[in-house]
Amino acid sequence: MISCTEFIPAYSELFKYLHAKGGEAAVRDFWNYLSDNFLGNLKSLAEQHGIRGCWMYWSHTLNEEAADFTMELDEDKGKFSIIMHHCPSKGRLLELGHITPYPDYCGHCDVLYRRVLEPLGFECTADLSRTDRAECAFWFRKIPAE
Amino acid sequence: MPKEVMTRQAADNVYLHKDFHGALSRGIDYLHQQFGAEAVREYLWQFATAYYAPLKEDLRRRGLVAIQEHLERVYRTEGAAIQCTRTADELRVEVAACPAVMHLRSQNVPVAELFHETTRTVNAAICDGTPFAAELVAYDPATGRGIQRFYRRPS
Repeated sequence: MISCTEFIPAYSELFKYLHAKGGEAAVRDFWNYLSDNFLGNLKSLAEQHGIRGCWMYWSHTLNEEAADFTMELDEDKGKFSIIMHHCPSKGRLLELGHITPYPDYCGHCDVLYRRVLEPLGFECTADLSRTDRAECAFWFRKIPAE
Repeated sequence: MPKEVMTRQAADNVYLHKDFHGALSRGIDYLHQQFGAEAVREYLWQFATAYYAPLKEDLRRRGLVAIQEHLERVYRTEGAAIQCTRTADELRVEVAACPAVMHLRSQNVPVAELFHETTRTVNAAICDGTPFAAELVAYDPATGRGIQRFYRRPS
């Protein structure tokens, strides 16, 4: 058994394996597949609760992942944000001296979540410019119906 | 409605996100569907060879106690107990129920047909290049109940 505490390096190595098989496109195909087949919980919460569904989803995952973060929900404005002060996943990968993270490891978050939320009428913005320090930020806004 | 803010530091929580088992199961299924069973084994072999390099070195240096300590720690972290029987040349590990499989079942997440390779292939890769070998003696896909055996290769 690969423990869930060892999953992140397994995930990163899977991206490397797929990249060796078919380049960036093969990795993207997998991210799309995972988004379509593994994020049903996020989709259901966003469908049922709107922007609060994002708060509910990440309240669960980020606490279980022991992340260092600030989340903010402004339901009146239909906005939700995550400021990741230190990502536990990328942080672990950077700490491992004997394996190198997949170069675009953090790209999966943007692809996976955007693919679920944009079709539901959410605007998604990501800042991945500081992932080399395990920092990132995501902003989501529910676009009001016309 | 007022804004809601949640701030957490890493030390506020225990790092144990069992839903990661589901992502791994999906990943294995994807490889299986797209590239075949051998790709699943090849990927897991490459992962295990790279990630468990320090454990392989520990196995060479200290013998099977290194594997026993590793597995006891891993299963304890996941909230499961294992039974280990060890001599200098053999380690037998009995797993009553795999915590990864049980979590997937509890969440109604499909368990990949080749999920057992996360034990069989990974153990074999850890032992590769050491005086030891591994085999998955028994495995129940429904629960992950199984017996893992590590043994000194015949000289």
